[in-house]
Amino acid sequence: MIDLLERADPARKIAADTSRLRAMVDERIGISAPLRPLTSRSRRPWLIAAAAFVAVLAAGIPTLLRQDSPSVFAPELEGIDDLPGVQAVVPLASGGLQAAAVDGDTIWVVTTLQNLLQRVSAESGDITATYPIPARVEGVVVGDGRVWLMSGDDGGQVLRFDPEIGAVDLTLPIGGLPGWAHWFGDSLWVSNDQGELLQISATGEIVSTRPGELKGGEGLGFLWVNDPETNLISSLDEDGTLGEIEIPTREGLDTMSGAGIRQVSEADGKLWLMDGDYPWGTNLSTFDPVTGELASFGGITFGLLDLTTFDGSLWLTSHTDHLLIEVDPESGQIRRYPMPGKVAGLLVADGSLWVTLYHPGAVLRIDPGAGLIQAADIVADDWNRFPHRLLCTGSDTAGGPTILLEPYDWLDYGSWSVIQAQLSSDGYLVCANGYVQGESTPEQRAADLDEALIETGVPGPYLLVATGDGVHSTRLFADGREDIAGVVLVDPMPVGYGDFLDSLLPGTEGKPPEQDLDPTVSASLEDLGGKPLVVIGQDPTAVFLSRQFIEGTGAEIAEAANGYWQDGLEFYAGLSTESDSTVATGTGLHMVIWDRPELVVKEVTNLAQSVSD
Amino acid sequence: METDHRFDPLFQAHHDQIYRYCVRRLGRTDAEDATAEVFAVAWRRLDEMPEGDAGKAWLYGVAYRVVGNQYRSRRRRGSLSSRLTQTGDPAAAVAGPESAGEFETLYAAIDRLSANDRELLRLSSWDGLTRAEIAKVLGIRENAVDQRLHRARSRLKNRLDQLDTGSSRPEPKEASA
Repeated sequence: MIDLLERADPARKIAADTSRLRAMVDERIGISAPLRPLTSRSRRPWLIAAAAFVAVLAAGIPTLLRQDSPSVFAPELEGIDDLPGVQAVVPLASGGLQAAAVDGDTIWVVTTLQNLLQRVSAESGDITATYPIPARVEGVVVGDGRVWLMSGDDGGQVLRFDPEIGAVDLTLPIGGLPGWAHWFGDSLWVSNDQGELLQISATGEIVSTRPGELKGGEGLGFLWVNDPETNLISSLDEDGTLGEIEIPTREGLDTMSGAGIRQVSEADGKLWLMDGDYPWGTNLSTFDPVTGELASFGGITFGLLDLTTFDGSLWLTSHTDHLLIEVDPESGQIRRYPMPGKVAGLLVADGSLWVTLYHPGAVLRIDPGAGLIQAADIVADDWNRFPHRLLCTGSDTAGGPTILLEPYDWLDYGSWSVIQAQLSSDGYLVCANGYVQGESTPEQRAADLDEALIETGVPGPYLLVATGDGVHSTRLFADGREDIAGVVLVDPMPVGYGDFLDSLLPGTEGKPPEQDLDPTVSASLEDLGGKPLVVIGQDPTAVFLSRQFIEGTGAEIAEAANGYWQDGLEFYAGLSTESDSTVATGTGLHMVIWDRPELVVKEVTNLAQSVSD
Repeated sequence: METDHRFDPLFQAHHDQIYRYCVRRLGRTDAEDATAEVFAVAWRRLDEMPEGDAGKAWLYGVAYRVVGNQYRSRRRRGSLSSRLTQTGDPAAAVAGPESAGEFETLYAAIDRLSANDRELLRLSSWDGLTRAEIAKVLGIRENAVDQRLHRARSRLKNRLDQLDTGSSRPEPKEASA
């Protein structure tokens, strides 16, 4: 039968038209080229955070930088410090956070956009100094009283920053783009993309170079080095001796992606290993040094980014799900906490756990015992290993509508975290539907949500809340449904805005992804009839007609962009005969849901109460 | 536009295979678009592509997802405006009347399998992926590939037997209380 099956291959005589296919690919690449990330860590979600922000970037806003400012273009993070379990919020320079490291009670952070090194006091939560760095920095390590900065510039280099003089005092080529780096013993250990592990002394001399990849931090008193050929993880002691303990992860552990172990940490006397990569997800495994047993703990979620140990628990961050995840190493119990932004890494400083947010750039001091909002993570469908997840908080016994928060493209869960936490306290069941991939069309996203709700049994009626281009899938989802209690559109993106932006700013690198709705599909959708609708619009004077925007793009483009956007708001307000519009004053160049979360909470709560009465 | 030095060899080495992969699942009409999308996604995520042989499985993983998105998009379009309906496995249509006639029963049997079974059989028999590559594409362990392939082939044989004997008995369903 196998032979019959092979002969029945319907495409065995079919060949691709190579030149035609290549032309189609090139056309797509030409469109998508500016969006391609330089590295997986250097994705630029800030490029699409707001249409205005995009245009300002194109106009070269970094020229407005000021040196040694306590906070340079610090994003507004209103509401975040009110969240249970969040003790302190340190807003960083706009552009997000690239890397961070701890030195006693000092946290050093590097921001992405402006290559700034910022010094944060863990005790007070204040930014005490800001230094421009003459290179694009991808990693930061503290050792011997200095700050060591990893950069991919000029083929890969390490910069040594002396806090005493506030400047880089040494630049050292490392023969390739930097990977993991760690201070261990009296040396800096850093990997490069040529498969080499370099040992660098405090004086800046390369002491040794050997094959291998560093994997995350310390564990069991060792650093851990991976052989990319065999996936053998070997211990490295402070003297540089390699191989006292060896963990054959390729043979002993069938890592999901084949990409091998990414990071390690120690908890409960075991070494915890995190493997995986896009698009195959991530797994945790344990290595027991006593028994030599290597065991799979299992998958937790996608996009695990960082791993550390604090207060007896293992802590992880998921940058796709915007979650802080706690694993009890003894019981295996997993708790998930939505974080108010795109999560980057974890730090332990001044006796506390700190979470760094890539965007909006911030460092949060977390008190896990102070009632962090927990979420039930419901996996609706593991189709194609990209689960459609509903991150549910609140109670389904309160009697109000289920509030569905539609993610704004790849900002997904995190974009709603502050709002979700505050709405949850009113007792409504609130769900944010998470997506892992950024290429989903509005149609797919609407279908995803529909399927996820059916499969998980999350009850209606539904109050839909959408922002940005999430409005498109929300309209598709609502089309023809009887179980929609109401809709809140927060600064919704007008149909055709992507093309319009192209026409305004041809060749702009900050072009948002193509998440637009076909105008003919838009016209074919049913209006919301008499269903309650609230449209929260942006404040034109704070965005398109702001000084920064006009200086960046010129008054003509600013007026045109504002006109298009305001027309869009008017269009959306006309979708229902029972609509109400309001303007979110006092916003900045970010999204309304970040700048005015309390306004969104108020409007959603009012609408939920009115439809419940 | 200049492309990455890794991308051109990737395209040259695999575009034909990926195109046929898409043809088998979507039919000829949508296969080119899907193939172009696979390589566009691959280009954007080239930094994440594993080196060496693992790159092939990674590319098929992308294709698997893109094709899946196409399926779902079709379903959604169908439910929105009844403009498109799914008509089962496209293999028979792709193969053409002559070949389709020869393998008519087989295609009908394949069409009666679950989506997971169909995908395993296609990856193994038509796309020619190794057990390890299939495991990577589907995100399952290699041992699981063996077990699932064995079961899928058994079920295919059962479906063929049913069709050969003219049995039109519906699939057993769980009894309801």
